[in-house]
Amino acid sequence: MRDVAIIGVGSTPFGKLERQGIVEMAVAACRDALAESRVPREKIQALYLGNFAGERLASQGSLAAIVVNRLGMSGIPATKTEGACASGGIAFRLGVLGIALGLYDFVLVGGVEKMSSAPTAEVTAALATAGDETAEMRTGLTFPGAFGIIMREHMARYGTTRAQIGLVSVKNHGLGAANPKAQFRKPVTLDEVVSSRLVADPIRLFDCPPISDGAAAAVLCPLEMARDFTAKPVRVLGTGHATGPATLWESADVTTMPATVRASREAYAAAKIAPADVDVVELHDCFTIAEIIATEDLGLFPKGKGGAAVEEGWTALGGKVAVNPSGGLISKGHPVGATGVAQIYELVRQLRDEAANQVRGAEIALAHNLGGTGVVSTVTVLGRA
Amino acid sequence: MTYFRAVDPFPLESERYTKLHEFYTRLGQGRLVTTRCAGCGRVAWPPRGFCPECRSDRFEWADLPGEGTVAAFTVQETGLPAGFDGPRVFAVVDVAGHRVFSVLREVAPEKVAIGQRVRLTPMRVDDDPEGKPRWLPAFSPV
Repeated sequence: MRDVAIIGVGSTPFGKLERQGIVEMAVAACRDALAESRVPREKIQALYLGNFAGERLASQGSLAAIVVNRLGMSGIPATKTEGACASGGIAFRLGVLGIALGLYDFVLVGGVEKMSSAPTAEVTAALATAGDETAEMRTGLTFPGAFGIIMREHMARYGTTRAQIGLVSVKNHGLGAANPKAQFRKPVTLDEVVSSRLVADPIRLFDCPPISDGAAAAVLCPLEMARDFTAKPVRVLGTGHATGPATLWESADVTTMPATVRASREAYAAAKIAPADVDVVELHDCFTIAEIIATEDLGLFPKGKGGAAVEEGWTALGGKVAVNPSGGLISKGHPVGATGVAQIYELVRQLRDEAANQVRGAEIALAHNLGGTGVVSTVTVLGRA
Repeated sequence: MTYFRAVDPFPLESERYTKLHEFYTRLGQGRLVTTRCAGCGRVAWPPRGFCPECRSDRFEWADLPGEGTVAAFTVQETGLPAGFDGPRVFAVVDVAGHRVFSVLREVAPEKVAIGQRVRLTPMRVDDDPEGKPRWLPAFSPV
């Protein structure tokens, strides 16, 4: 296995992006990543592109092939990866494996989603297909409903408070306010969070991410070649990819996501680090409660202590481990297929000391991407090269 | 704004497209059932047409009790897919140790409680494209 480096990243802003279609956004992010890497396009040997609902929300299939075509790179293998909201994380990991295993020297990875073009009810229904259709989703269950059940259970089981969970939203909106790529650029107060519109009790509007458009991309190569292209390569220290139950029907304990636990243990083992070594995290806060659960499942805090960790400021910028300095999905936005690669974009900028909310001296960074209510997860550990 | 949909959005509950369709047919008769593997006898939940333990794809139907207790729930006000109105009460109901995800009906949302006893009251949803009725698990207070 060869060591892998990230030598260029690109991202569109996240938000309701007018006059930008799904292919155009993916092309823009890829163009920026390629430009930053200084790798000529004819050297790129493969594209992996994460996307969840392009067929349904943007009426576009064959997405990866069309994107390489528009980039003037037609001919190379191009693969769309789908794992619900973890589609981007899967694309990134496949790119890393392609280089680690010696199949390729230069790989482009990306993620994209176009969501604002469809009515909210259609977006909701499209996202709900990440669940098991035969089991749960036909009842009208959507992700706010599923995470409403999960949040209630976490509060009952561990005494996690409404205020602790709301503070995740306060933290992430505060951080997103400083991120030029973020969809929401305005801080919110705890009062505003806990009195915002009820969505699926106890989940309220400010516990949720917005509907977003956006794309992100990265260029990968073997670490040994990285310095030919950039003075600041970022090293991929370890990756993990795991699956878990698709339904609440199958989960004996809905307050933990076995896929996150397993993917993170795989990534930590490959990176030869412990959770306590991580300085900065971009994780999958698809709801406020999901951030708390992820910090526990990633081993950053003991099970049941994630709420207290937020309240103590341990996950704030300048805390024990900065969680979602980009603003996270809740504030930065969540174009689902792009999210996993956008997390890599943010962390590469952290490790190059270029981030909007820079974690000073960050050496080890972790990205956590989650699909559905935990049906799939990817975890990536990055470090300075 | 309406979308033209040429496909049934829920084909996996139609007799024509799933060998587990009897789960829904029996729901329509007021019975909650699941699969028992004909190879090793293991009872699955949710119903499964393939046993990952003994790799048999033969199964028979096993009746489950028509009552259970609320193990977890949420009241969803907004964010429901097209065709659904809030508030809607979703619950995980413990039925003989199985966690049955379903909708609670005929209940005031503010009166739902963990541990509440509920009985099966299947809910008729949109017919399949051939006009055959389709049902989903739902429960109401005892």
